[in-house]
Amino acid sequence: MSSFAATIPILIVVLSAIAAMMAEAIRHPGERMYIAGFGLIGLVGAAVASCFLWDTDAISFGVVRADNFALFINIILCIIGVLTMLFSNEVVEREGLPAGEYYALTLFAISGMMLMAAATDLLVIFLALEVLSLAVYVLTGLRRASAPGAEAAFKYFLLGAFSSAFFLYGIAFAFLLSNGSTRLDAVAQAIASGPNATVSLLAVGLLAVGFCFKVSAVPFHMWTPDAYEGAPTIVTAFMSTGVKAAAFGAFVRVFLSSFEPMQVQWIPVLSAIAAATMILGAVMGVLQSNIKRMLAYSSIAHAGYLLLGIVAANAAGKSAVLFYLLTYAVANLGALGIVALLGTAEQPHDQLRDFAGLWRTRPALAGLMTVFLLSLGGFPPTAGFIGKWYIFSAAVQEGHYTLAIIGVLSSVVSVFFYLRIVVMMYMTDEGAAPARPPISATAMAGLSLAMLATFYLGVLPTRVIDYALQSIQTIF
Amino acid sequence: MLLTAIVFLPLVGALLVLLAGGRGDRPEREGAVRATALAVSLVAFAATLLLWWRFDAADPAFQFVENRAWLPQFGISYHLGVDGVSLFLVVLTGFLTPLALLCSWESTHKNVKLFSFFLLALESAMLGVFVSIDLFLFYIFWDAVLIPMYFLIGIWGYERRIYAAVKFILYTMVGSILMLVAIIGLSYAHGAGSGQQTFNLLELYGTALSWRMEKWFFLAFALAFLIKVPLFPFHTWLPDAHVEAPTAGSVILAGVMLKMGTYGLLRFAFPLFPNAAHYFAPYIAVLAVVGIIYGALVAMVQPDMKKLVAYSSVSHLGFVVLGLCSNTIQGVEGAVYQMLNHGVSTGGLFMIVGMLSDRRHTRLIAEYGGLKAVMPRLVACFLLVTLSSIALPGMNGFIGEFLILLGGFRWMAGMTAFAATGVILSAVYMLWMFQRVNYGEVTNDKNRALPDLSGREWALMIPTVAMAIFMGVAPSLFLRTMEPSVVRTVDRTNGVQVTAESVPRVPAPAAGVRR
Repeated sequence: MSSFAATIPILIVVLSAIAAMMAEAIRHPGERMYIAGFGLIGLVGAAVASCFLWDTDAISFGVVRADNFALFINIILCIIGVLTMLFSNEVVEREGLPAGEYYALTLFAISGMMLMAAATDLLVIFLALEVLSLAVYVLTGLRRASAPGAEAAFKYFLLGAFSSAFFLYGIAFAFLLSNGSTRLDAVAQAIASGPNATVSLLAVGLLAVGFCFKVSAVPFHMWTPDAYEGAPTIVTAFMSTGVKAAAFGAFVRVFLSSFEPMQVQWIPVLSAIAAATMILGAVMGVLQSNIKRMLAYSSIAHAGYLLLGIVAANAAGKSAVLFYLLTYAVANLGALGIVALLGTAEQPHDQLRDFAGLWRTRPALAGLMTVFLLSLGGFPPTAGFIGKWYIFSAAVQEGHYTLAIIGVLSSVVSVFFYLRIVVMMYMTDEGAAPARPPISATAMAGLSLAMLATFYLGVLPTRVIDYALQSIQTIF
Repeated sequence: MLLTAIVFLPLVGALLVLLAGGRGDRPEREGAVRATALAVSLVAFAATLLLWWRFDAADPAFQFVENRAWLPQFGISYHLGVDGVSLFLVVLTGFLTPLALLCSWESTHKNVKLFSFFLLALESAMLGVFVSIDLFLFYIFWDAVLIPMYFLIGIWGYERRIYAAVKFILYTMVGSILMLVAIIGLSYAHGAGSGQQTFNLLELYGTALSWRMEKWFFLAFALAFLIKVPLFPFHTWLPDAHVEAPTAGSVILAGVMLKMGTYGLLRFAFPLFPNAAHYFAPYIAVLAVVGIIYGALVAMVQPDMKKLVAYSSVSHLGFVVLGLCSNTIQGVEGAVYQMLNHGVSTGGLFMIVGMLSDRRHTRLIAEYGGLKAVMPRLVACFLLVTLSSIALPGMNGFIGEFLILLGGFRWMAGMTAFAATGVILSAVYMLWMFQRVNYGEVTNDKNRALPDLSGREWALMIPTVAMAIFMGVAPSLFLRTMEPSVVRTVDRTNGVQVTAESVPRVPAPAAGVRR
């Protein structure tokens, strides 16, 4: 039994996914069923299981390790999942998405994400990556009738498959390096004991390409705006936060444990990538008039800030990545959730001008959106400020002043486009704004939870930062 | 607890206002909203007066100190306190907020609930800036100030309000965000030296830094503060923000927010990096003098009264910066006094411009003329506020400018002589504007039947004018209280050992530094 312990949260999510699939199968056509409920139960269960596993450092099958690091990411993923489920019910109905597939795939994706953060074997990481990727590719193209959706899914799939190949090739070199093992500890030993320079460089480089693709870092970001724009908005909200959390979890685990001795080689490269990602994300965001595209570039910029934590490569950096993922998840999911909730099948409500005068008709939604955008922009007293401060201070601690300055300046640039939405909501007259559907109490509860979390992490972050600091002890 | 109460009372009031306003924008509840907001701001003002009453003028250290661990992992604490310098800025904030609420009473009808909410939230943030002793906490309040002001300009401003609001927030953020990097760097540098990372200002004073670090940190801090002041050539956001802001926004912007910049120089930039401060002070002073003269000359040719007053702020705050740079007791004391004066007199000027534009919906000087015959009482108040602004002896402005020039002459006589021409120029542009608006024949028929001061406007003008005169005839009441703290701050910047405040100074000799 104990050998299963580490996989319990993952199994719970898988069970809830299967339950969602069964529910779809036994549902009469046209019958309404709250399938999101299965997801909610499963995710809350997984979160509770993760809390029980805290500090136990359970290892299953030698390749899945539920250390505090994985559990912290599990909990972030559960929060992402719960919020997505709370928003999903009415969005799925209104946009006519196939309910059973949607919920099952979302939950399978989450199980893959959890596995990815917990895996201590490169091949298992790859497996998890594929589980989550395949689910997300399908989710992206879930609106079968929509041409942009199909285009987005196809682009995402082709480029994703390409990057998976890079990743797999990197694993092959790691396999060669450690004489027949893909376990992280074996790879770490092989690197520490006297690196075969060329092979280890190839392994690091190819794995970095794979990870950079998944976290959408420049120059591997090309798919992001198209995929985010073409996917149903609720899926955009989910994948922009979930995939990032899982990929960064594995990224930190692999690069700051096995490949840590090779810092001298990869830090300059990742620094350049981080700088380019921050600048490009912020600058391109300014040019967008579609909110989903704008937030896609914003998510690229945020990937750049998160990379700073990896580049800093110190305790503060690692825990800052965890903390930042949480703050980013809550705010980004909130903002994109609002976009999703305001859209209908005919009217996606994702253009900047669609938000004109939102404050007059929906003051509460406008207020919530403002809080999330300010958090993404890094204003106190919201979570985003503490997250940015934490990650930049990790970079400054290691003397990366240039990167920190690029980071703060590009965050000012990104404030400009977040404020464009605020200007639309508050300072522009309604004009030709589309009709906006009503929003259910469940969804409002989800948004309120996200807002409370945003303020909680912004005003009283001590406890969560403590947990984040405890989480990084097993990755060295 | 008094400081916490003062800082957060307006914020609680802001939430109360939201409750009083009910759901949505309901014009019928405007009265309740306004009454709640005004009552809260008056209670907050009373609390600041209580603070002044209980303040021990002889003690140079921080008083009413509250210190609680907040983020102990990083040495960040919720650390508040006031000394003789910040005390009066707190009182000024308390004084101006009710006036700002009151002066928008008739001109703002669009969602008064949200308007009052943002104004009170702004007050909380500004008070927080002045009483924070923890650098991290200070930065949080410093940045939080931007959001309500952004909304005040952007929603309730004039035609180009969105442009002005975005320019305001981005311009000031660029400066302040670099300061954030410097704050983090400073705390790590202190941690590397003492083994204990901290953001406590009192411990960070006297941190030994390499000259290179000290230089860059100082420049980052100074840039943030000089943009906020705003010093020439960083002033370009100010005229836009002022002209487009609603009257209440202008009053707060000029009255309190600009002082955050000069306060920051005095409290943080100069004493934290004394060597760099001494090295760069002459350069900053040159910019200040250029700003004094440039601001005055540009003000002179403005056709728009509000823009004229905005440029006069650039000029007047040049004096304040000059006084701070002199780092003499007179100069700094005059600078602090001038911050308060500028808050009262420029706040008053913006209120008067607001009253005129409420009546005529224009701020162009050419539209007016001969108002003295039509509105004698308003013009009388206008005259007193104008005289206060141009530093007539007997009015508050005189004391401040006199002390600044006195301190400046002891430091750099040549440059101060140039600055002194600014006094004359300010008389020229203010009196010329006053003459064109108020004297002569009534040339525009629309001006013939304008009503004189209403009861509400009396309530605005009486405290303003009374304060201008009171501060002019009884300056010792203020100066006596601020002097011990000013002396201590000046000593810190001069590198004199400061005792009795927990941390001994680490001497920081750096090669190639001019004293």
